Amino acid sequence: MKRILVTVGIVISLLAFAPKNKLVGRWESKPSPKGNVTGVVFNKDYTYEGYVNKKPFVSGTYRLGHSTITIEETGCNGVKAVYKLIFFSHSDSLRFEAISDSCAERKEGMQRTILGRVK
Amino acid sequence: MKKCVFIISAVIILLFMQAMIISNEPSNKQELGELLFFDPILSIDSTISCATCHKPQFAFADSSATSRGVGSIHGLRNTPSAMNVAMQRNFFWDGRAKTLEEQALAPIENPNEMNLPICEALQRLKKSESYNSYFKKIFKDEPTRSNLAEAIAAFERTLETSNSQFDQWKFYQEPHAVSEAVKRGFMVFNNKGKCIQCHFGANFARDEFRNIGLFNARELNDSGRAVISGDPKDAGKFKIAPLRNVAITAPYMHNGILKTLKDVIEFYNDPAKIVPNAINRDSLLAKPLGLSDQEKADLETFLMALTDKSFDINKK
Repeated sequence: MKRILVTVGIVISLLAFAPKNKLVGRWESKPSPKGNVTGVVFNKDYTYEGYVNKKPFVSGTYRLGHSTITIEETGCNGVKAVYKLIFFSHSDSLRFEAISDSCAERKEGMQRTILGRVK
Repeated sequence: MKKCVFIISAVIILLFMQAMIISNEPSNKQELGELLFFDPILSIDSTISCATCHKPQFAFADSSATSRGVGSIHGLRNTPSAMNVAMQRNFFWDGRAKTLEEQALAPIENPNEMNLPICEALQRLKKSESYNSYFKKIFKDEPTRSNLAEAIAAFERTLETSNSQFDQWKFYQEPHAVSEAVKRGFMVFNNKGKCIQCHFGANFARDEFRNIGLFNARELNDSGRAVISGDPKDAGKFKIAPLRNVAITAPYMHNGILKTLKDVIEFYNDPAKIVPNAINRDSLLAKPLGLSDQEKADLETFLMALTDKSFDINKK
């Protein structure tokens, strides 16, 4: 019994001190001059869905490193990419800076996108 | 007394009719565009409107391989859906228009479609008391080439759909919005089927032109994009078709040669089996995909899940 309690205690402590995934949730850009809104939902299970004007266009998985994100998705022939995550405005806004991404189309889109947390 | 009742009735009818007319009056360019889209006034013999070929019940596409224009003349290519065009950058199968405004006027003048020179169309609209007043009210100008295009394009931009089962699943994060078959079909779409290589994006299409193997310079002799670009390497290339609402826009391909989604999947599974002598077929389709019957069925189910709920094909 004592052992179980100790184990549960350790697990709870680990969870308490595990870094919180600040990405989880829905993020959206402000409307572009043409009125397009780009967004992404980062899920707890490390999957994500990207969309434009409520139309999903990309599904993928992500891994978090120290202030970096590695993504692999349905577009770009499944090529992996690493971006630096830059949170600002009390972590309610987010932008990406390419560390390595050979997919030019995605790189261009990611680097110009600023996302705000949807509350 | 009888006379009194008659007069009152007549006044009520007149007021009712006036109210009907007022309610039909467009208040912005989108509504004016809608009125024009459904009005045969823009065809030479006043029998064909944009909606004659872009039928709302078929996601603003047509159900025949090629549509009939004025004088029952058949067009040369399949009528594409006029829905979900707001984010597109090329219009028509060969991409000859770069903007929706440019696209909007072309069928009016096309001899196989509405066959009405734009200058005549404008004369008609100016002569029409109602249209003339609508244009003046909305554009502060009489009908012109540019505001006519602007109005029709503005209406077309309202024809966006984003409420399919797929959207419920992916955007609204409802895992039970789609069946397991749809989820498997999505996997086939992204992987073994290679569909995503071309059909990528919010409307499931890249803004590109590809030769899928429906050009052999004989009975299939529409060279597509090459006529516009002047580049022989573009022979047989056509615009990648968006897939939203694809289940209700049969028949398929630039010439409407494939009647059902099953036919389309069979074609892509082994294009050389259907058109053995195609010229310059895209290298993506060089080898048969080798889809199993289950994978083909799942892929079809996935494509059906791209139908907006406003069409509700399951009720049919």
